[in-house]
Amino acid sequence: MIYAGIDAGSRAIKIVLMDADKLEIVGKGITDQGVEQDKLASELFDRVLKYGGVKRQDVATIVATGYGRNAVSFADTTITEITCHAVGVHHLVPEAMTVVDIGGQDSKLIRLDAFGRVRDFAMNDRCAAGTGRFLEVVAQRLDVELESLGSMAARCRHPAAISSMCVVFAETEIIGLLVSGTAREDIVAGVQAAIAKRIIAMAGRNVELPIIFTGGVAMITGMDAALETALGKSVTISPDPQMTGALGAAILASNRKLKT
Amino acid sequence: MTETPKRITLGEWDRRYERLQRAGLSEPDYGGPLGRHVEDGDQRLLKLRYDNSTAALRLWNFLLTEEDRLHAARAAGNKIVGTMKDLGTIPVMAYSFDDVVAFYPDGAWWIPCVMELGAGLLDIADSLGIDESFCPVRAMLGAFVTEAHFPVPDILICSVGATCDDFSAIAQRLNGLGYPIFWWEIPHRRRPEPNETTVNLPGGFLAPKCQVEYVKSELERIQTVLEECAGLPLDEAKLSAGIKQANQVRRTLAELRFLAFTAEPCPIPVLEMLIAEMLAIHFCSDRRETIEVLNALLEEVKARVRAGTGILDAGAVKIFWINPVADLQVMNLLEDCGGRICGTEYLFSHALDEIPEDLPPLEALAQMALADPMVGSSTDRAERICSDISRFGAEAVLISRIPGASHCALEGQIIGEIIREKCDVPVLEIEIPPVTDSIRPTVRTRLEALVETVKARPRAQRKQRRNQ
Repeated sequence: MIYAGIDAGSRAIKIVLMDADKLEIVGKGITDQGVEQDKLASELFDRVLKYGGVKRQDVATIVATGYGRNAVSFADTTITEITCHAVGVHHLVPEAMTVVDIGGQDSKLIRLDAFGRVRDFAMNDRCAAGTGRFLEVVAQRLDVELESLGSMAARCRHPAAISSMCVVFAETEIIGLLVSGTAREDIVAGVQAAIAKRIIAMAGRNVELPIIFTGGVAMITGMDAALETALGKSVTISPDPQMTGALGAAILASNRKLKT
Repeated sequence: MTETPKRITLGEWDRRYERLQRAGLSEPDYGGPLGRHVEDGDQRLLKLRYDNSTAALRLWNFLLTEEDRLHAARAAGNKIVGTMKDLGTIPVMAYSFDDVVAFYPDGAWWIPCVMELGAGLLDIADSLGIDESFCPVRAMLGAFVTEAHFPVPDILICSVGATCDDFSAIAQRLNGLGYPIFWWEIPHRRRPEPNETTVNLPGGFLAPKCQVEYVKSELERIQTVLEECAGLPLDEAKLSAGIKQANQVRRTLAELRFLAFTAEPCPIPVLEMLIAEMLAIHFCSDRRETIEVLNALLEEVKARVRAGTGILDAGAVKIFWINPVADLQVMNLLEDCGGRICGTEYLFSHALDEIPEDLPPLEALAQMALADPMVGSSTDRAERICSDISRFGAEAVLISRIPGASHCALEGQIIGEIIREKCDVPVLEIEIPPVTDSIRPTVRTRLEALVETVKARPRAQRKQRRNQ
């Protein structure tokens, strides 16, 4: 039986098709998020089905997750991204005890028990300072591609100190740093450190190893190192970090067999 | 018992009201259809879900007509005391006089929610230099300026010292606007030194005797100004009688809370419970009627428990709620997401404890004031919360932060960590502004995730905790 997980995030829609009998991913895909969320998800779903050689009627259950989960009209049910990321990470890294997920709009820290169940979680509140949005703002301000931020940070010599806990004010700081001649590479590294600090503030004192890093921001070079420095603990990037939520949703779909 | 218990909309309530009226519904003079309050500008009421019992109808009408009662008191020549910040102590003294009513202007903090920012109270506060970096209680300033919500009290009494910084600043601004305030000091409650005499306060806290004596001396000062305001002396007999009446409210609430938090299925919605609990501190400007309103609600809940009915499916996740929310709609959302209330700590748990009746009245009230969870450490507060979590069998904890409230800045994290360590339950912290419409999806995600987290726990583990 084939099960589908759709992670309708704030920046991208991700879909995973899973063959539950073989425990294999038979298709996956990603597209940018937009205004017509349902249409975009449906179009992507069709493309992923075609790529995987699967017909719509062969999909037993579809679970939608993520910020836009309620907009996916063809999903059988919805489950929050907290639960889905936990399940996805546990599937890929069964020994994981902590998940740090940094997406375009929010960030979360999920504590797991030994069986991969969510023990507790924390999410950022109303501020983009600990999210991928911060990096987007920086990329725009520095007039560089988002994808190149990682390589820029790698060339940093002295990370700039970004003190603000607010993206809007941090942007003002960045302008000040540019005016004062601070290297763009140092600014990018400073922003990465600032994001990592926001995650630590959310995490509290007890962060158990292994820590697995998921979400689109995990793909930006240097973010894992920034997190390691802030946490004082090693951080492992999840395999295929952007797809973890969709994978978890597909697994939960297969567990629930919710065809309606 | 009212037909099948459920949560209904305002429109459904009004249709139900017509049917009840045709059937001969008997109501107090402040009764009527709930929908009429929307005409006063209370737009948020259209978006809430209400318990469908006549006891709940009475509760809501009682709450939503408080302004009328205050104006009637003024017209009748009764004295009006505006008491601020102490949450539960000064009204007991004020209501010990026959012709005095007391209310909390602080309560204006819900007007921006109920009127969906339509009254402009926060804009007025902004213009007075008290901007959104302060707690929404700043709406009180606007309410004083417009005089559209409550009559200006004959006297204002406000506690300072171990209270929120932002509230003190707001009250000082009010004082500066020409509304003189009688200030009294509540000290930060501390544990007694080894050489000090210890007093066991209601609620399980400890304090040195010298602190109790100090607060008692402050209450004596308040007694004097109340006597001057009322033009009558307040003797021990009157004060003791006032304490007994307050305790009647508290005992009824204790019984109501226990049933609401432990009965299966949940017999009453969280929103009605929030309003009922609040009556313990302000009596909604009529202490006698408060007792009647609560008795009616308790009878309804008892009947539901006996019948094994409730407003939610059995098995709803039992959540302990910390701090009152600025937007009442979030309380509905908890239930929409599969949660139910199982314990609360709305910053006035001391006002739910019985006042000792075997002590001289002012000493008893001094002990109550010192037992306020907000005048001690966050650790003390967390200890009491942990005890209640175990008592009621809560499976998760929700800490709602109040934007701008100085006491919320750090205490949530401290309390959360202590709860995690001692109770092994998930703890979620969320910030709730007066109108959450724009962040509703994100609040919903968090609440749903909390419910999912508990439901994913092994059945045996859940059963054990729920049956504690």
